[in-house]
Amino acid sequence: MGELGLLSNGVNPVLLILVPLGLAFLVPLIGFISKKIIKYIPVIAFLFNLTVALTLIPNVLKQPIVVKIGGFAPPFCINLVAGPIGILFSTLIALAGLLVSIYALSYIKEGPTEKYHMLYLLLLTGATGVVLTGDIFNLFVFFEILCISSYALVAYLGNKAGIESSIKYLIQGSVGSSLFLLGIGLLYGQFGTLNMADIANQIQSASSPSIFVPMVLMITGLGVEAAIFPLNAWLPDAHSSAPSSISAILSGIAIEVGLYAVVRVLFTIFDASNFLMFFVFLGVLTLLIGEMSAFSQKNIKRMLAYSSIGQIGLIVFAVSLNTQYGVSAGLFQMISHTLGKGLLFLAAGYMIYRTASMDISSFEGIGKKMPYTSLAFTIGTFSLIGLPPFIGFPSKFMIIKAALAKEGILFTVLIGLVLLGTVIEGAYFFRVVQVIYFKKGNGNPERKEAPITGLIPMFIFVILILLIGVYPNLITKILNSAASELLNKIDYIRSVLG
Amino acid sequence: MRRVISVILLIIICWGIILALHKIPFGIPKTKVGEYYLNRGRQETGSANIVTSVVLNYRGFDTLGEVTVLFIAAIGLGAVLATLNKKGKRKIEPSSLILNTGCRFLFPLILLFGAYIFIHGHLTPGGGFQGGAIIASAYVLIYLGCRGRRISEIGSKTTESLGGLVFIVLGLVGLAVGGHYFLSNFLPKGQLNTLFSAGIIPIIYIAIGFKVGSELAGVIDNLMEKS
Amino acid sequence: MDFLSNNIYYIGAFGLIFIGLFIILVKHNLIKVIIGISVLETGVNLFLIAVGYISKGTAPIFSKPGINANQMVDPVPQALVLTAIVIGVAVLAMALSLAIRLYKHYATLDLRKIKEQRW
Repeated sequence: MGELGLLSNGVNPVLLILVPLGLAFLVPLIGFISKKIIKYIPVIAFLFNLTVALTLIPNVLKQPIVVKIGGFAPPFCINLVAGPIGILFSTLIALAGLLVSIYALSYIKEGPTEKYHMLYLLLLTGATGVVLTGDIFNLFVFFEILCISSYALVAYLGNKAGIESSIKYLIQGSVGSSLFLLGIGLLYGQFGTLNMADIANQIQSASSPSIFVPMVLMITGLGVEAAIFPLNAWLPDAHSSAPSSISAILSGIAIEVGLYAVVRVLFTIFDASNFLMFFVFLGVLTLLIGEMSAFSQKNIKRMLAYSSIGQIGLIVFAVSLNTQYGVSAGLFQMISHTLGKGLLFLAAGYMIYRTASMDISSFEGIGKKMPYTSLAFTIGTFSLIGLPPFIGFPSKFMIIKAALAKEGILFTVLIGLVLLGTVIEGAYFFRVVQVIYFKKGNGNPERKEAPITGLIPMFIFVILILLIGVYPNLITKILNSAASELLNKIDYIRSVLG
Repeated sequence: MRRVISVILLIIICWGIILALHKIPFGIPKTKVGEYYLNRGRQETGSANIVTSVVLNYRGFDTLGEVTVLFIAAIGLGAVLATLNKKGKRKIEPSSLILNTGCRFLFPLILLFGAYIFIHGHLTPGGGFQGGAIIASAYVLIYLGCRGRRISEIGSKTTESLGGLVFIVLGLVGLAVGGHYFLSNFLPKGQLNTLFSAGIIPIIYIAIGFKVGSELAGVIDNLMEKS
Repeated sequence: MDFLSNNIYYIGAFGLIFIGLFIILVKHNLIKVIIGISVLETGVNLFLIAVGYISKGTAPIFSKPGINANQMVDPVPQALVLTAIVIGVAVLAMALSLAIRLYKHYATLDLRKIKEQRW
């Protein structure tokens, strides 16, 4: 180990969490000097994070990096496990954070903007902490950082809808966290340790009631943030009342990080192979309810929020198939959802700003007024439905193939239901595209495009969607290693405890 | 109807938890991690209060997260209440002479008590959070007793930021210099049960004490001003 | 009777959790729901401390030279509860500020009437 932060195989992953956190603490001091440079600080922070995460990818594919905080041996200290799935998620978080912070340079103009940028940095710090940690109480603390920043950011605009959504989100989220903490207490009482690898080492089977009850409590607690049915009543209100840049981050990062926590607890700690059929059904149910509710929406952001619920159901279905191919397909769908839904919310943000209304019917003719933004929106919808050559196509194809590999009439019926969900998704998205392009708008058709800082992130999202859609082999290697890290409990325990 | 469903749901939850509790009888030593900390805590960290050594040295990352959560709550509260217009100047009745003098007399004594608790965090029960809460309560006394005085916003913002930064910078110095682990205890451990012992633990607790005190006082200030 | 006196801390903790959840599920006034959240978190903290208790143990502080490590309670749950209490205070602060704003918008704190976002 060498100088400040450099390990023998790359930069210390602790810096992925510390740099945004330190910059968030520094923002009030910088605010005394000049208020104008505060909005560039998240851009710098996530540029750093993205570079560090990308340079760490080749190292973690060989062997996960285990960072011991404080220098003692695990399980007597907290340790971070930067394995393939941790660094994959950190890259995704840094990428989305960077692009949305560029978008927010001109989008966030009113209100206490200094506090917006601090809360934004801290939300993504919490998300990075959740995916990198290897200790279950540390997971709880970083999860709370994520949740409390999102309560504050949903209420940022201060209007009636925002405050109401935020208080309902807060009540449900805090009940979930208390149940999660209760589960941690029950686990600690039996095993005497808080390290994930150590607990996984000592659990034999998940069927005895003293293991089953903590598992149910923890999954329920984390499931509130992961938006699994029936715990997702807060989601349509919260995602539609937040400012559009925050909706992109909540839909694209926050619920996926919650789902990562559920998957980590299920697979690595509890090894709950018997209960995964329940999650298969729950996933398909969530998918159908999300898509059918989205079909009847007239408010565009509520429609996109219900569509997020549907996609989470699809990812839960893919991951509960419990095969290497199924879990890789689920992770691929998570990446596709982040890129696609982020793009949709960013595009919708400026469209709503220009037409001053969130109703879909007010977007008539906007295809001529904002050509680039409408094109980006259309590409996003095609990608989410699953049309080639966008990223949605290989990810949905992999999910169907993984489900087909499991024999049985039951899975064929479930695949039929998944395809039905896709058809409904296509129906409502095509309706919006039709309104944007083919309806005559009123008023003068002059071009009033979104500003350049709004167009650059949308453009980069579009490029990534096309690139990975055409060459999915760019990321299949890291997806496979990530999936095998989740499924292989023994390797994980050995890499942490030695 | 809603009450009946809620009661049934809660009875199911409680019955489930009671089933799980059979393995955790009350009052029996269960853990190996706890024994390790009790036996080796004194040599490895140098602090006489084992809870402090667990909070700041063995599980120091959790404390960093906790400090961040309180920071987020203070900022979030400020952001939500920021665009609220102040109520038109309420007529503030000046307090009586006895109340005024009494509060101003007690104020430095309470501050001193709070500072005593967080400076001696590694020797007696207590620590940064407890001491910070006591300091904030001194400010609440001034708000309630000598009405019309407010804390300076610049001072409280600076203290909050500096407190957090001291914590992170000390951890990073541990990363660079002593032992190359984040938050390793690189200062000399000194002699047990004296004030200058336990390496970086008292320094971090002093930073946390000031930070928590100014944050909680800022929260109270925001709530009193805007509602 | 013996069972009761042995497990009184567990019973107390679960009583608080039960009461807290009942308040959140049943009551309509926003301030009462926030108090219910606080009671629920207090119950969970009490449960965590009760898990770490060792019979006839004392506080884990080596204040005098003669104290033995065998007679002390488990220090880890106390550290966990320290963090959990602070997190509970943070959530409470956020909830109260949102309640103030909500009252300014709707002029009522009855959750049955604050249902502008329907479907």
